[in-house]
Parts: sequence; C-alpha cells; structure tokens
Amino acid sequence: MRRLGWAALALLLLCLGAAIRHPASAHEAAMAVLELRQIKPTQYIGKWVLAPTFDPGQIHPKFPRQCSWMDPLLECGEPGFVGPMSVDNIGSNLSAVMVHVIPVNGEMQSYTMSAASPRVTVLGLAAPTWQTWFELADTYVNLGIDHILLGIDHLLFVLGLIWIVRGGWRLTKTITAFTVGHSLSLAAATFGLIGVPEKPLNAVIALSIVFVGVEIARLRRGHAGLTVRYPWAVALGFGLVHGVGFAGALVSLGIQRKLLPVALLSFNIGVEIGQLAFVLLVLALFWAHRTLSASLPRWGAALPAYAIGVPASFWLIGRMIKLLTT
Amino acid sequence: MSSLSAISPARAAAGLGTASLLLLAASPAEAHIVSSRLGDFYAGALHPLMALEDLVQWLALGLLAGMQDPKRGRWVVAGFPLGLLAGVALTHAGLLPAPPRLFDGGGMVVLGLLLALAIDLPAAAVAGLAVLLGVARGSANIDGLDAANDVVLFGAGMLLSGYAAATLISAATLAFRRNGAGWRRIAVRAAGSWIAAVGCMLLAFALRAGVMQ
Repeated sequence: MRRLGWAALALLLLCLGAAIRHPASAHEAAMAVLELRQIKPTQYIGKWVLAPTFDPGQIHPKFPRQCSWMDPLLECGEPGFVGPMSVDNIGSNLSAVMVHVIPVNGEMQSYTMSAASPRVTVLGLAAPTWQTWFELADTYVNLGIDHILLGIDHLLFVLGLIWIVRGGWRLTKTITAFTVGHSLSLAAATFGLIGVPEKPLNAVIALSIVFVGVEIARLRRGHAGLTVRYPWAVALGFGLVHGVGFAGALVSLGIQRKLLPVALLSFNIGVEIGQLAFVLLVLALFWAHRTLSASLPRWGAALPAYAIGVPASFWLIGRMIKLLTT
Repeated sequence: MSSLSAISPARAAAGLGTASLLLLAASPAEAHIVSSRLGDFYAGALHPLMALEDLVQWLALGLLAGMQDPKRGRWVVAGFPLGLLAGVALTHAGLLPAPPRLFDGGGMVVLGLLLALAIDLPAAAVAGLAVLLGVARGSANIDGLDAANDVVLFGAGMLLSGYAAATLISAATLAFRRNGAGWRRIAVRAAGSWIAAVGCMLLAFALRAGVMQ
C-alpha cells in the first residue's frame, strides 16, 4: 500500500478542497426544460416547466433566423420553426437545457443542448431524422462524460475500488461489475421501472464511499473486508445505487420516449468513456509511483483511507441533515 | 548560400517542434471553454497544459527528474505540487507578485541546460528546483484570474494536474532511458537542448518587449 505513493496527499487536499466547495451536492447537475407550445401556425408560447436554480432570464436561447423571441412569445416566419437553435451561456451552473416543442397537430419533439453541444437543428414535423439521432447521440455522450467528470463522489468510489482490489484481471472484473450495475439501474430508472427519492439516494451514495474508505483502513490493519473478498459483489451492489444517481440527469429532462433508448445508450457510453479515462489515469499514476519508488512515508500509510473517507463522511452528514430537515 | 536541403533533420525537427508549441500557446480561449463547461476545477487542471510557458517548463522538470537517480528524482512528485500550492496561495493573498515574463524563458534555459548537460543533482537541488518552479507557475497562473472564478477549485485542479504531470513525465523518462540502448539518454539530452533553445527565444522576445516599452 505504501508504495502507491504521494498520490494520497495531493488527493486528500484536492478532495477536501472540492468537498468544502460542494458541501452536500457533489453530484447535483442543474437542468432546465423550456416548453414551446404552438398556438398558431407561426407562433409558439414558451414556458419554463423546469426552471433553473437561477433566473431563467439569464439563459439566452437563439432561435432560427426567421424566428424572433419576445419572451414568452416565439414568432417564426416562413418556413416556420425549423433550423439551428442554440443556447449561449450553458455553463458549470447549468448542465443542459431541453426544449419540448408541442405542435397543434402531431407529436411532441424534444431537443437537448449541453455545454459541449449547445446547438441543435429543429426539424419540425420531419423529425426525427438521421440528423436528429446524430445530434442526440453527440449531446448525450458529452453529457455523460461531463456527468461522471463532475460527479466526484462516483470517481472517489471508483478510486477506492482501484485502491483495494489488486491484480489486473480482478480489477477488470470489479470495474466491469460496477459498470454492469450502474448501467442496469440507470436504464431501469430512466424507463421508470424503479424510482428512489433523490435525497436518500444521495445519502446512500455518500455512504458507499465511506464504506470503501473504512475497508481501506481495515485492510491496512490486516483485516480483509467484504470488498477485498468479494470485490465484484460490492461493486455490483453499489453500482446499482450509483446508476440510479446517474439517471437523475436524464429523468429530470423528461426526454421524448422514442428518443429515450438512444439518449440512454449515448449517455451511458459517455459515462463509461469518462470512467475509463479516470481508471487509466489512476493506474498510470500507480505505475509511475512504482517506477520512481515514490512511496508514502510510514506515517502517511493511512492517508488513502482518509482521502476517500473524510470528504465522503462530510457529504454523508450534509446529505443526512438535508434529508432530515427538509 | 542557404537552401532548404541545407537544413539538417534535427534543426527541421526543432523548428517544427517550436512552431507546434507556439501554435499550442495561441489558444488561451480554450481554458475559458473548459471553465464554462466543466467548472473551475477542470479549468485549473487544463489551463497550464494549454500555455507554452507551463507546458515546456513542466516537461523540462519531468525530464530532468527522470534523468536523475530515482531516489533523488522522485522529489518532484511532492515538491512541484506543493510549490504550485504555495504560489497560488501567496499570490492570491497578495504576498507574492506574479513573476515577470523573463522568468519563463529563464526557467526554460536553466532547466534545458541542466538536462542537456546531464548534470546529476542532489535531492535537495531537485526538490528546490521543483518547489521554485511550482511557486513561479502557480503564481503566474493565478494572477489575473477572473473574480468570478473559484480560486480554491482552480488551485486544486492545478495542483492535481501538476502532480500528475510531474509524476508521469519523470516516471516515463526514467523507464525510457533505463530500459534500452544508450541513444535514449542522448535523445532526452537533445530534448533538453531544444528546450533551452525555446527558452532563449522567449527570453529574447521578453527582453525586446521590455526595450520597446
């Protein structure tokens, strides 16, 4: 364990800094949903059905050239509400904006814009076409990557697993089990087959990281805990919990049902890309420490457990207080 | 009389490398895109990797550490991020002004020459260089940060990025030169001479800019 290096010191500082800045909401991403309901062939009335935490007036949607937006009225000349649409100021305090277009006759269409893909093409009654699917996949892959990279609680859990589980094949099985677990529950929650209230769910996610931190501390004292003996089972079990957490980002958008499978698949691919990048970075750092023989001093051997456990406990307490007081 | 054919492959490669690095330096707006997409933590982590001054000096420090005996070289793993942390904290507190631009070229020249000459440094010198460079780069990166940015997250991102870069580059250099023929050591030293050359150019630009003012 000691040979895994000074990484723990940097990570401890990093995690504490991040935890202080995000006391109980390490994983909440702001979403906003704008509904545009057609009232005349060329007119739509807009309404924020899911408003962001800040003034929606700060969000600046840009509609196709032939359209003019006088909040809440959208007026479009020929050929109607079709063409490129974007949102300028999606940022770290707003992960995505979904636009529901509800025509007088016909099915509702939905379009998602995120910081990575702030532009979509509104296709009118022709939707969905290949362009719609492509834009959808592009948006949701990026949304998935952003979601995992900003979800420091998920990353800490994965870091804990990597720390505990030794051996390439054993680690591969463990990370795969976590992936299978969160993919299953992500799909189930997105399709509405299961549902867990957000506040207790976030508390359990924090608890899962505390659990891994305790397991690292126990391992250091020579006790092989559950994660050491059955890593895949722990990863699968907690993966199911984390997956429901991932689903929050998709469910809150209320995406059109026929677009949901592609959106879900793309989102999950994005999450896996982000997770794989993180796992590879951590493994590369472990290799680098071994190569440099840069090991932790004896007094610092407990640092990894605290680097993971302290912020997780901080979140757990914060989320429990939030759960019990609101 | 000079012609294209008279340019040696090494010089052509050096020119190409320098041009590429300058192109990389020409995209500071990328950091703001990262900041707006993923927040200040990732902006802090990626900001130094998109600036020539950081990129070349971080690389030089990692290469230099990798050329030392591991017992001495590994001090960059702790020294550099701690230096970055100190630089960020001191400049943010108003106790340390950002280093003048001469430091960028000067740092590259010093590190590049140490690397090119393959000088064996004592552990204290490796740690000292790492801390000094960390303080200078931490200070330079935090200077002029928008008030809207979160300094703690930005600094934490830069700290982690500095730690990862120093650790990975020095380990990769060590593995590269240790597990192969003698030419590998020469290749790393040649990289040092290129870094020193880039530093000389930046020094000249900085001095010229100073004279023009």
